[in-house]
Amino acid sequence: MKRIMIVDDEENIRFLYKEELEEEGFAVECAKNGREALDKLSLFKPDLITLDIKMPEMDGIETLKRIREIERHLPIIICTAYGEYKQDITTWASDAYVVKCADLTELKTMIRKLLGLL
Amino acid sequence: MATHPDPYDLLKSIIHLSNSSIPIEAKLDGMLQTISNAFGSDRCLLLRPSEIVENGFLSHLASEKKPVWVDEEASFQGEKVLLEEEDLICPSFACIPLYDEASFQAILYIGFSKNRRFSSQETDLILLIAKEMEGAIRNAMAYYETSKMPQEHEKRVKQLSTLWELNKALLATVNFERIVHMTLTAITIGDGLGFNRAMLFMVNEKRRTLEGTLAVGPDNAGEAGRIWSTLSQRKGNLSDLITQIEFSSETNSMLNSIVKGIQIPLEQEECILSKTVLEARPFNMRFPYSEVGIDSYREGWLQIHCERGCSLGSEVGCYVSEHLSHDPKVYSFATVPLWGKGKVIGVILVDNLYNQNPITDEDIQFLTMFTNQAGLAIENSLLYRNLEEVHRELKETQAYLLHQEKMAALGELSTNIAHEIKNPLVSIGGFARRLDRIIQDESQEKRYTETIIKEVSRLEKILDDIHNYTRDESFAFKELDLQHILEDSLSMVSEGVQGEGIQLVKEFAEELPKVRGDYHQLKQAFSNLISNAYQAMDGKGKLSIRIHPISKDGSPFIRVEVEDTGKGIDPENLHNIFNPFYSTKEAHLGLGLPTVHKIIISHHGQIEVDNRPGEGVTFIITLPATEERSNKF
Repeated sequence: MKRIMIVDDEENIRFLYKEELEEEGFAVECAKNGREALDKLSLFKPDLITLDIKMPEMDGIETLKRIREIERHLPIIICTAYGEYKQDITTWASDAYVVKCADLTELKTMIRKLLGLL
Repeated sequence: MATHPDPYDLLKSIIHLSNSSIPIEAKLDGMLQTISNAFGSDRCLLLRPSEIVENGFLSHLASEKKPVWVDEEASFQGEKVLLEEEDLICPSFACIPLYDEASFQAILYIGFSKNRRFSSQETDLILLIAKEMEGAIRNAMAYYETSKMPQEHEKRVKQLSTLWELNKALLATVNFERIVHMTLTAITIGDGLGFNRAMLFMVNEKRRTLEGTLAVGPDNAGEAGRIWSTLSQRKGNLSDLITQIEFSSETNSMLNSIVKGIQIPLEQEECILSKTVLEARPFNMRFPYSEVGIDSYREGWLQIHCERGCSLGSEVGCYVSEHLSHDPKVYSFATVPLWGKGKVIGVILVDNLYNQNPITDEDIQFLTMFTNQAGLAIENSLLYRNLEEVHRELKETQAYLLHQEKMAALGELSTNIAHEIKNPLVSIGGFARRLDRIIQDESQEKRYTETIIKEVSRLEKILDDIHNYTRDESFAFKELDLQHILEDSLSMVSEGVQGEGIQLVKEFAEELPKVRGDYHQLKQAFSNLISNAYQAMDGKGKLSIRIHPISKDGSPFIRVEVEDTGKGIDPENLHNIFNPFYSTKEAHLGLGLPTVHKIIISHHGQIEVDNRPGEGVTFIITLPATEERSNKF
């Protein structure tokens, strides 16, 4: 079973994503900010991370950098309300970029693609 | 025969004459006659300064101020007797110079052909008579002076009151055209300065030229007569007359049209108008010149090439030369500089073409007085006009800046709000979808969940539109194929739309040059257009997309046409379709087309609309192409 970590400061978003992804057969762990994400990283050992940009304390970009220092090859999807940060992110080598949407099809497809399940 | 008059009688006659009220000339003649009769002289004359030749003995006598008695006992002491004076040298004669204060008036000459002796009583008598004559002359002059005074005063008073009336009229308005027109009217109206014609030329500082601004005056003698007779019948004071004159009729006169077309470089010194400005003084000229050497003025007083080959050198001068050739009399004109706050701002030219009145120095003085006032009024009106313009520009700029600020603030607000709203929408929509999957297809609740899902999508679309429209334009320009972009846009749109009843026609040219642009933005733009087209056709119709290369002014462009067969755009709303937040569809924010417009413009392109109400709409987009053609390999 593949493991996915959801990093987002909104509780409802975490809840929604967890319900949807567990239904798809993944093991899901949530973190509500970058700090928590880093803390849970070694314990949970995810196969993929979804990362929100706008978060308090450490924001998405910073978290991305830190994670990359530890895990070079871990697939990370930037998941955000709007596409302002496209340019910055591609420099930091996230693997994908998804605009948050009520319809999670695009997100799910991307996850499967990156995990080689398609 | 010499006689020795009775002193008493003689004096009585002289004094009687002196006190009489007959004119001075008759008075003096009478006195001379009386003297002649009394003394029996052959000649008794009063020699005026104009009759006395310079350097002769008479003029010497006048300067010496001493009487000369020549008789048996005292002979004439030579000195310089001129030819003209020789017949005055008689055996006996007396010359007594007459003065008014220190000013020489005349010489009283009494000549006898026979020898005679002047007794001392007689010399005293004659000297007394001379004194009486001096008195009579002095009185006559004083009388003349004082009788002239009321006339002078009246004239001055009339001039001053005219000036006052004129200035009152000038205060009535700040409008440049009206002031200029009133000025020239006041100069030409009979009760004003009374010239026949007046023309105004204003200095254009930037081009260093004098430009004809306005001319007032009849086009020919007949019209002149008519105008003056009408004006003389008008009642009312001068300022009313001037302010009420209709200036629409004047602006059609031929003189006015000609003057308005005149432009003279200021540096052209031979031209008298330029001279007036450069030397800042008036000129008073008369044609034809009797003096030699001023002929050169006749050739070039306006120094503009007249097509009819007029020797006076200009169309304005042409009128003059025509008049002169028909009726060669005197043509006089004058120019005065127009002063405005310390520098010369123009020239006024006046003439008396029709009534041929000469222009006196006093006329010039009066004209100068008036034009100085007028100059200030004109300068003020120009400043006022500038001020109005500057004020308007400032207000416009202010409004624009305010608008820009609002837009910027709105943009920022929109982005922030949109961002805040997005997350909750994701929750709502996400959970509604989860419910929707559980709920049975035919149940009532199905409709509820479907509605929630649909409405959330709608809100998401609005937020996307806002975001796209207000975000910063940091885009990546690359060389792109428009066909690919259009294909991608088409597939993106037709996914979510029921397009069965819609026929799709594609006309893509064979070889198209590439376009420099941002892929996502252009895709967005064309998606919006196509999506709009589908919506307009409401399930039925034909969507045509045509792309072909064109050339404009030697540069390559690509033209894309997106045509639908919907009901078209309401002509009343046509000019607002690219206006953000203007919407005719219910609750649709109307950002689709403004976004397209913004994207196309930022790609240095052009967007046009061919609106056919009832038939459809075609959007025509022109984008600059790169020089090389895309190849299909």
